[in-house]
Amino acid sequence: MPPRQADDYADESDSDIDILEDSGNRSKKGKGKAIDRSKKDKGKGKSSEQPYAWEASYTRSWDTVQEDEAGSLTTAVADLLARNRRRRLLAPADAIRRTIIRHLIIILDLSLSMLDRDMRPTRFDLSLEYAREFIVEWFDQNPLGQIGLVGMRAGLGERLSEMSGNPQDVLKAISERHRLEPAGEPSLQNAIEMARGSMGHLPTHSSREILIIFGSLTTVDPGNILETLERCVQDRIRVSVVALAAEMKVCREFCDKTGGQFGVAMNEGHFKDLLFELIPPPAQRALSRAAGAGANKPDADLMMMGFPVRLPDTSPPALCVCHSELKSEGFLCPRCSAKVCDVPTDCDICGLMIVSSPHLARSYHHLFPVKPYQAVTTLEEGSAFAKSCHACARSFPDAPLASSTATAEGMSPIGRYRCPDCQHDFCTECDVFIHDVVHCCPGCGK
Amino acid sequence: MDQPSHISVILDLSPSQWHLSSLPQNPYPLSLKSFLAQVLAFLNLHIASKHENTLAIFGAFPGKSVMLYSSTDPASDSSDSGSPNIYRPFEIVDSRVVTRIEEELESIDDSQEEAPIGLVGALTKALCYINRIKHPTPSTQSNGTTVEDPATLPDPRILILSVSPDLSTSYIPIMNSIFSAQKLKIIIDVCKIYGPDTVFLEQAAHLTGGSYVYLERRDALLQHLVMSHLPSPALRKLMAVPTQDKIDFRAACFCHKNIVDVGFVCSVCLSIFCRPVAVCTTCRTKFPMSTLRRLDAYLPRAAKQANGTAKTSAPPTPTATGLPSTPR
Repeated sequence: MPPRQADDYADESDSDIDILEDSGNRSKKGKGKAIDRSKKDKGKGKSSEQPYAWEASYTRSWDTVQEDEAGSLTTAVADLLARNRRRRLLAPADAIRRTIIRHLIIILDLSLSMLDRDMRPTRFDLSLEYAREFIVEWFDQNPLGQIGLVGMRAGLGERLSEMSGNPQDVLKAISERHRLEPAGEPSLQNAIEMARGSMGHLPTHSSREILIIFGSLTTVDPGNILETLERCVQDRIRVSVVALAAEMKVCREFCDKTGGQFGVAMNEGHFKDLLFELIPPPAQRALSRAAGAGANKPDADLMMMGFPVRLPDTSPPALCVCHSELKSEGFLCPRCSAKVCDVPTDCDICGLMIVSSPHLARSYHHLFPVKPYQAVTTLEEGSAFAKSCHACARSFPDAPLASSTATAEGMSPIGRYRCPDCQHDFCTECDVFIHDVVHCCPGCGK
Repeated sequence: MDQPSHISVILDLSPSQWHLSSLPQNPYPLSLKSFLAQVLAFLNLHIASKHENTLAIFGAFPGKSVMLYSSTDPASDSSDSGSPNIYRPFEIVDSRVVTRIEEELESIDDSQEEAPIGLVGALTKALCYINRIKHPTPSTQSNGTTVEDPATLPDPRILILSVSPDLSTSYIPIMNSIFSAQKLKIIIDVCKIYGPDTVFLEQAAHLTGGSYVYLERRDALLQHLVMSHLPSPALRKLMAVPTQDKIDFRAACFCHKNIVDVGFVCSVCLSIFCRPVAVCTTCRTKFPMSTLRRLDAYLPRAAKQANGTAKTSAPPTPTATGLPSTPR
């Protein structure tokens, strides 16, 4: 297969470049990449002092915070703020094409190695707890997504819950701990094949993702797992792995080839970080790169959706079309006026997809982000300066702050940030709040 | 036990709507003047009911929004001694609000009068202000404000007194504000004083757990305010606060800013359109031709204004959802 090979070579050179870039800025924090680099180091010889690859990128949080001469932490805090600001400025403005309708299957390792106690209380309990938090947060940010659960136990893949858009259904499947008691060896291939099978019918415009929480260092497979990998690449399934023990070659290969993320959890907090990094919707260009030649296939579609009217529980009871039960509350299909119990769903009568519009609107701030505010550096520009923050009416300091050492790039020494559109000034707190939470400029109102 | 509470009141001060509202052919005409008198009485009640209660008042004017009063304003020591017969805090609030409104209304010239109302600005300002009082920072403390114990931080809520109709251009910012209010656990109450029900504010009240009151007897404004909007969120669980009977989950389309109940949604970015389009205006995604042809058949007759007789027979059975399109 000549084209296949060419593809592989291209991939190779890509990763080389990554490594070169990485060694340039070793001091950077980026955990995932650092792992990559140190892995290579280890491969070359025993030159590195770190005994384990995943320990290489460990930065102590207290090392990054430095007291200033006066012994106060304000400059360090200001510095952190500045770093956040700069990261926002650097963020690509065109990352608009994100897959918003997502389908995710979480594969939980239920093998005996999950009973290890290196993470408190056990790997198993901790992953269940984090999986619950992950599911809640994931549905909060991806309201139109669906999650299914598969377990790896005793050499088999076990379906724990079907694909569902209702977080309660998914959470119920992992609420009973005794049903999930770990046993035997895990089988990556069986579980991935099962997950792949249940995603085969999905429309092309939605994403297909697999997240594996993997605690073992072995896998017992009935066949060649690399064939499974081929099929995942063909089906454009993105596989991400969070390993609890150590890096496995086959896991990394899965993630690299399918465009997913790989990480080894170093401690409880890092485990959670790795999981929660997977919550925001992935940008679509990563997906098309992984898909190679199939990228220009139209993977978008226009869908017809209805926005229902919600009836209160005081309205006269009527039969619902989904369960044929007599109840008062419910949603009315805007096209055929049938009454359904819950949204999002497909109307059983006319087939219209019924969603509540707030579900859709939750993701709009990805599409129309607030422009980054510019830091005002000096007061003498001739123009009139507002006395107080335009948003919260906090008054601005008249003179530059005493700690003039903290004039890092992107920070204003006088604490003013100006919207490029409406030319109003905002204070530091409002700047952060507006960009991270509200996503709407109080001055221009958009 | 009983926590102090904070209200951010947003007054919708659209001159044209208030003019319409005061016309005598209305069943219960209400002028801006009598409205303000009743609202000020309500605000005084709020201050009086607990010493620690705080207040912020925002005005939404055509094309802009202004903070009219806040309890943390430093410059409240005006020289005039005031009337000895009025409780001092009441007097400060009343005179401040009235003079600020007068100033702002004076400064509006004719060209601005028809500008869209700055409700979004007022709402986001209220959110920023609440964010500020929830997280007292060192900078405010050094400015002389008292250092607040986190336990005594007030329970915040927002009350919107609305007279203007829905502004569909501000759909996205309003929804964004609602979600941030949800995140901060702020309740948004809405009292609709004049005009038709607004879909977006209904959703705001529903999503944040507030109450939406449509005022039918507008001469009883004060009574409504006191009965349903004065109790603090903690108290409200014990009281029968009016709830909405029906919530409309309609959205505004991105292309013509119409409010639609059946829309066409881009699968990549979830933009809503009121009719099938060939290219998504937000993310520049091209849609397949077959889908467009299929969806065209579903269009309501009014929008199509061509021969719609073909589809009067029955609602089409095949699903119009995200399944891969089948050429037909």
